[in-house]
Parts: sequence; C-alpha cells; structure tokens
Amino acid sequence: MKPNDTITITRSRVGKFGSFVGGVALLVGILALLWTGISTLSLISIALAAVGIAAWAIFAPKDFSGFITGRQARQSLTAFFSTLILIGIVAMAFLYVRERVITFDMTQSSAFTLSRETLDVLRRLARPVQITGFYTSRSLAAREIDDQFFRLYESASNDLITRRYLDPDEVPALAQRFGVIQDGDLFVSYLSEDGTADPNALSRVFRSGRQERDMTEAIMRLLIAGSVTVYFDESHGTRGALDGTQVGLSGIHNGMQESGLVTAGLNVTSIADTGGDIPIDARAVILPRPLVDFTEGEVSVLDRYLQRGGALFIMTDVVFTQDAFLRETGVLNNYLWSNYGLRALDAAVVDPGASTETPLDILSYAVVSNTVTPRLDPSTAPAVFSLARALEVSSSSPRPSVANGRFIMTSELGFAERNLELLGSTNTYVFDDGIDTPGPITVAAWAEDLETGARIVLIGDSDFASNGQVVLSNGNGILITDAITWLTSIDDEVTFAPVTTGIGLPLVAMDDASAQILTFTVVVLIPLSVLIIGIAIWARRSRA
Amino acid sequence: MNGVRTIFGREIASYFTSLFAYLIAAAVLLITGILFINNIGRSQDQVAPNPAAIPDFFAFALIFFAPLLTMRLLAEERREGTLELLLTSPTSDSSIVIGKFAGAWAYYTIILAITFVYQVILLNISQGQTDLAHALCAYIGIWLYGGACLAVGMVFSAATDNQIVAAFLASAALFLLWIGDRVGEVIPNINVARFIRELTLQSHYASSFAVGLLRAEDIVFFAGIIAVMLFITIRLVESNRWR
Amino acid sequence: MIEVKDLSKRYGDRLAVNAISFKAQPGEIVGLLGPNGAGKTTTMRMLTGFMPPTSGSAAIGGFDVVEDSFEARSRVGYLPERVPLYPDMTTEGYVTFWAKLRGVRQPAQAARAVLERLHLDDRSKTLVRNLSKGMRQRLGLAQALVHNPPVIILDEPTIGIDPQQVIEVRETIAALRQSHTVLISTHILSEAEQICDRVIIINQGKIVAQGKPGDLRKKLNAANLESVFLQMVNKDKRA
Repeated sequence: MKPNDTITITRSRVGKFGSFVGGVALLVGILALLWTGISTLSLISIALAAVGIAAWAIFAPKDFSGFITGRQARQSLTAFFSTLILIGIVAMAFLYVRERVITFDMTQSSAFTLSRETLDVLRRLARPVQITGFYTSRSLAAREIDDQFFRLYESASNDLITRRYLDPDEVPALAQRFGVIQDGDLFVSYLSEDGTADPNALSRVFRSGRQERDMTEAIMRLLIAGSVTVYFDESHGTRGALDGTQVGLSGIHNGMQESGLVTAGLNVTSIADTGGDIPIDARAVILPRPLVDFTEGEVSVLDRYLQRGGALFIMTDVVFTQDAFLRETGVLNNYLWSNYGLRALDAAVVDPGASTETPLDILSYAVVSNTVTPRLDPSTAPAVFSLARALEVSSSSPRPSVANGRFIMTSELGFAERNLELLGSTNTYVFDDGIDTPGPITVAAWAEDLETGARIVLIGDSDFASNGQVVLSNGNGILITDAITWLTSIDDEVTFAPVTTGIGLPLVAMDDASAQILTFTVVVLIPLSVLIIGIAIWARRSRA
Repeated sequence: MNGVRTIFGREIASYFTSLFAYLIAAAVLLITGILFINNIGRSQDQVAPNPAAIPDFFAFALIFFAPLLTMRLLAEERREGTLELLLTSPTSDSSIVIGKFAGAWAYYTIILAITFVYQVILLNISQGQTDLAHALCAYIGIWLYGGACLAVGMVFSAATDNQIVAAFLASAALFLLWIGDRVGEVIPNINVARFIRELTLQSHYASSFAVGLLRAEDIVFFAGIIAVMLFITIRLVESNRWR
Repeated sequence: MIEVKDLSKRYGDRLAVNAISFKAQPGEIVGLLGPNGAGKTTTMRMLTGFMPPTSGSAAIGGFDVVEDSFEARSRVGYLPERVPLYPDMTTEGYVTFWAKLRGVRQPAQAARAVLERLHLDDRSKTLVRNLSKGMRQRLGLAQALVHNPPVIILDEPTIGIDPQQVIEVRETIAALRQSHTVLISTHILSEAEQICDRVIIINQGKIVAQGKPGDLRKKLNAANLESVFLQMVNKDKRA
C-alpha cells in the first residue's frame, strides 16, 4: 500500500498486461466470430488473444495457474459470467425497446413527427412497400439518421412499409437496375410476391432537404403509379416525347415517368382513320404542338374523348403556314371556341414590358390566381416563352356547365401582332392601332366542363417545354408539372401540405451595446465568479 | 442505502470544497460561454442558433472532462489507504461505487445546469422563440451521455491505483466511443460497421437527442452502459477481497 | 470475542499466515508481536474482512468473517498501519463520515465525544492535512472508536510518532480495556509488555509462542521479551 506513481516493467506486469490484452482480444474475437463468422477481424483477435494469454502464462505462471484454479478463478469466473448476463439483459432490453420505436419529438417544428397528410397517404397503402436505400459504409452516419425517420413510416404503416439498406459497392448490378446515381439514393417500391422490390414500379425519392415531404411524395407517386396514363400525340409533326435534342420533349417526358405517371404515344390521325377512340385509360392527352391542323374526323375523336371526361393539354406555336395547327378559322379552333370558349389567334405576342432578349421572348408577366398553376410565381420564377401565340377567352361561357379563364398574360405594354407575314419575313413588330390587339394578351388559358369533367389547358407556346428551354427558368417546369397535375387530377387524390421545417426558428437581433454586455456576462462574469467562489472557499479552508 | 447516501454526501462536499473542481467548472463555463456567443453571433447572419450547440460540445469535451473527474474516485482511495477502511466498514461494495458515481454525476449535472443559463438568455434575446424543448432534449441526452462517460471512467479508476494511467486509459476508451460513430469511413463491411457504431456513445446521442428526438432505446442504452460499467467497477472493487 | 482457528493465507506459493489459532476475551488486550513480514498485517486484514483466508476460519463476536462478513465488520474498529485519511476534510467531518458509514445513530455527537476523548476537540474544524503526525494517529484511532465497537484492531498504532505521543496513545489503548477487546500488532517488545494482557509471537506466519508477558519470560527463562523474541527467531533460523 505504498504510493506507486512510477511504472516499472517487471515480469508480473508484462504477464498482467498480457492477461488483459488476451482477455479483451478474446472477447472481441468471440463477438466478431458470432457476428461475421470467420473473418480477418475475428482471426486477428483470436490470434492476439492467444499471444496475450501465452504471455500471461509465461511471464506470470503463478498468477496464471492461480487464475485457472482456486477461489480467485471461481470469483473471477462468477464476475465474468454475471457481467455477461447483465450485458445480455441490457442488450435484450435495448433491442426490445428499439423494436417498439418509442420516440418523442421535442422539436418545435415537429421535425420527427409524421404529418396528418402523410398518415393519410399511408392509410391508403394496400400492398407491402419497401423503402430501399443505397448507402455505402462511408455514409453510415447519414443512413442511421435517415433510418430513424423511415422507422416512423414503418411503424405508422403497421409494418406495411419495410426498410432495406443496400451497399451499392456490394451489389453494383442491382444498384444499376434501380438507377442509383450517388451514395444515399433512396427508392420506394412495391414488394413483389417473392419479397423482392419490384424495379418496374419504382419511385425515386428526390431529396430536397425536407425529408418527410420528399418521402411522402415518393410514396404518393408510387400509389398513383400505373393508375395514371398520359398520352402524347405523335401525329401532325408534333414535338417528340422521346426526342432528346434541344427541341425535343424527353425532359418533361422522363420527369413524368419518374413522377410515377405512365406515358404512351398515340396517333390521333390513325385513330380517326380507323374510326377508333382514344384509349380508355388516358387521363390526359398532350398535343405537343402539331404542325398541321386537325381534320373534322380528328376533332370528333377529341370531342368524344372530352365528352367522357378527358383532359387535353394543347401547346400551339406561331406557324407561318396556311394549314397551321389551330389556325384561327380552323375546325379545331372553332370547336374549342364554341364548346369551351377558348381559341388561338393568328397573332404573335409581343411584350416590350416583360421580355428577355427580344420583345418576342416574353415572360409570364401576370399570373391570375387559378387552380391550374398554384405554384407559378412570376415575381420569383416566371415562365419564359418565345414567339408565343395570342389566345382569347370568351367573356361569357359558351355552355352553362363550362367554366374557363386565362391564367397567364402579358403586361399592359404587350400586344398581339397580327401581321405574321411581315413578322416572318422581316422580323418587324410594331403596334398598329386598329389592327393589332392591345395588351394584356392571354398566353395560357384553361377550361373545365363541370358536368363531364373534361379539362383543357391551352398554351400559346411549346418552346418553353422543350429540352433546350425548360431549363431556362424554374417557372417553365412548374407550369408543366402543375398543368399535368391539374389535368390528371392527381392532386385531388393526394393533397400534401409539406411540413415547414427550419421555418420560424428564431434569429437573434441585438444592438451592439447589449451584445457586449452579454459577451462580458457569459465569457467573463460567469466563469470568473465561479473561480472567485472557489478561491475564496479554498483560501478560507486552507487557513483552518 | 445509508452507505450510498453517506459516500455521496462526502463526494459532493469534497467537490464543493476543492479548488480543482472550481477550476474545472470555470474552464468549462469559459469555453461553453465563448461557444455560445459564437453561436448567437452567427445567428445574426440569418442562421438560426443551434439549440444543441453546448451539449454537442460536451459530447466531445467529455473525452477529457469525465476522466478528470473519475480518475481520483477509486484510485485515490486506494493510494491513501482509505479504500481498506471503506471495504472493512459494514457497507456493501456497491454502495461505495454507486455513492461515488452519484457524486461525480451530480457535480457534472450542476455544471451542465449552469450552462442551461445560455438557453434562458437565448430565450430572452430571441423574443421567446427559441426551441427550448429541443435544447432540453439535447441536455437530457448529454446528461445521460455524461453519466455513461463517468461510469466508463470509474472502471479504469478501479482497475488501477495510478491516477494518470486511469485518466489516460479512460480518455482513450471514451475517444473510441466517440469517434466510433464514424467507423463506417474505415470499415467497408456495413454490418460490422453498424454493429460497432451501435456500441458507441456518440451514435446514441448525435442522431437523436442532438436533433431533438427523444428515443426510448437511447435512454435504455445509456442506462444500460451505466449499469454494466458500475457492475464491472463493483466487481473490480470486490476483487480486492479475492486475493 | 475474537476466535481464530487454523487461519492460513497463501500468496502465490508463499504462505504468509500458516494455520494460526488463538482467542481473545472481552476486556482483554492481545498483542500480536513479530518482525516485519511475519504475517501480522495479513492476519488483521483477514480478521477485518478485507481479504478472505485461504483456509481456516475467524469469527468476531461469534460471526464468521467470511460467512457473516457484514455482522463481523460492524463489530470491528480498525486502524490500518498507514493511517487512512481524507486530507481535504475537517477533523470532525472525517470522524462524522465514518460514524455515519457505520450506522451510528447520532454521528455528530459520537464524533464530538470521541474527539474529546482523544483530546482533538480543539482541532475539530482543522483540515486533516494540517494536522501533525501524532494528531493524525489519534484521528485514525478516533475513527476506529467512534462507533464504539466491541472489537478494536490496531495495526502498529504507535509507529512513527514521537515518544510523548506514543505514551498518550498507549494510555488511550490501555483505557479501552474495560469495555473492548483489543488486538494490537507491534514489533516493539516493550510496548507489548507494557499494555498487553497476553502476547502472541508470530514469525514467518506461525505462532511460535503465546501467553502472558510475564509467564512467557519465565517459561523461556529470559530477562525480557526482547530475548524471548530473539530466541524464537534464531531457533527458527536454525531449523
């Protein structure tokens, strides 16, 4: 019992150290063996254990033999096993509680509570769904943070949703089939009968930083997946849905697919020729700027479709030919005007008040409050159109059941240039009083038949949706997405109000004087007073 | 119970009368104070202050702070010979260990409680909009975390009569239990990495308590670590009797 | 009060205490006498329940130190060879602490009483670290007495203090005779002769002689215990 602050190396100390190393290594080795089977870690640990125990036996033979036999051994063994039993009990309790997922969200913004909207979505699940996460071990910490969030989904869905994590480095083929781009990519998919994720019904989770919204929207997309089909018209020289060039529409086409929509092509001309109809499952038909105008037969195909509650997304452009699509006096234009109060004018939109490079590259200057594009905000992200066509909406409804309206307009300075010939040949556009229509000019309009459920969105431009221009402004994408959402009514099936995380947390406002007082109090006063109290007590006591 | 109470009382009294304890408290308050000022300073540039900033600091600081508190607990008793007297008193070994642990934890609790003043200040200067519940959650977490660190430190204090060795080994162990959160960066096998990570203290704090999520499993984990470590410490103290 | 039967303690392959047996009655002061390393401290540690015997048994007030360790321990006041102190406590705080730990009903009063008895009452607010060596020794004695145990075990209580204090400590121990059983270890023969009713001489873990100091001297025909002791030790060496 002498003070012993120096360490001298003796045989017994080496032996003791060996016994310690051996014991720890043995424990690690056994755990590793149980966990991974025969692996480098378990083999190294067991080898180390052998070396440690051998050192113990060689350098402290008495201690070693005493350990093997006698009371110390008995006591140590009892202690060792009782410790193991305690660890076992703790581990069981831990695993049990973890399975129960008992959590209590203490954040003001309820960041870890599923919103009512999410719970509504989960209630509609009928088939087992799997959340598949591709994480490498490098992003393990991120995975664990995400996981506790997904666990909420699992428990809220009564285990209908399950979680599965894969290491893309280990299963590169599968990762490729899922379309993994980066570490941490997430997917939601139905489970097929054999318990594997169905890669044909996949919904990618787009990460925007709002976990709940991202995940719930992905599940939503999965729910509607396969049930909503949108057709692209392929007749009349339309823009190609699969065309990947600057003028093609592959961007929005793929975006719709990733959103869970089924897309397909149809040919209105051949349907009209064979006397057929637009497929029964078409939730919306897109006419992506046909070049040639529609015939009577084709219009009646569209009419029959609308009569049974169809939805049309019509994009039209200024075209300088006589048989241009939707010409002012054409069959389709007349049909739209007399039935839905919408029509296109043979006039180009010029807007010196709100445009980009030339007055022909107009911005969505004014957006009327509407149900079609609730998210389009011209002040932050306007849609950009180039060489748009002027539209007109009837002032009174053509039929009692039809409601219509315009939702994108030019500024007051805008006008509709009637002289297309001159515009086409010399690129001049001046407002001619009495001929040209003064602004604001309508660029986008909608109509709805409340009886049949038919919906129409008419936009006097198609460039904004092309691969080359959809990226010019966020507004372009929003306009398309919102229009499709409205036309297909998927927003009626799922309404999701995102949780507003990170909003409403306090920002601190202080003037310099009070900031200085605060700094002084916190950095100087509090620690110093603790120190002074300590010194005072110490000084008083040391005199005693 | 009497033994626990008596030993706890002596420990607390010795903290309150030791200059060392005040020095540590002052140092911790100085560092956390600077951190706090820094944190709200940044929040003036439009970033909301992190309610868990101070607890997050403790999670790291405990690597050094906890061994400093625990190194003397049993090692000193053994060196001064008072352990012999304690062990020959009609008191159970567990009362000795639990009493000492409770004393150290209480001291830690007091220091932690003082830093909660920052949250109150923040509440005032942010017009009552601070996420106080989130902060409280992080504090509950770091309080349990601290208890677990102290329990780990006690094992080493009981295992050696050299205080420096006890502190060094405890620091090393706590460092592993902290850095282990990032084990995935070195171990490619994700299941092994996950298992190891699950054993670390940091993983049961950083991804739950610190972000405002109170999870029963983490409470069970920390309580379990404390129980196991104290059990081992008690066995180590008891081993004095086996010789 | 103290009953020791074939008590042995083995460290590795060294037999520190070898089958010793003795008894001590209430009101008796028994001296454990022997050179350093004879096994005195080991014997006392086994009696106080600090370490278990390898074989044999020991009982305090009828309670076995292993089987009924708690009961045995609560009946013992123990002062180890190196006085165990908490330097940062006050004298009174220190004694009160041990009184509380041993379940004394009114620890503060008991502490004050024992400090008065050991003439430390004027130092009750002094920090332990500021006490002189002799006072520390008396303080150690105070903690052993504060719960008024029937058995008091003192390991070399007079070691390292000045002669005046040695006399004081001896007087204090002698005064314990009325109400306590005292087991005291020493390697100073004159001390044992002076205060002990009975002396047990041990060497290399074995009892080599025991009896009243006077009887031992007569039996071995020695002038004093000094020579008895030397005789024993030399005999052992020859053997």
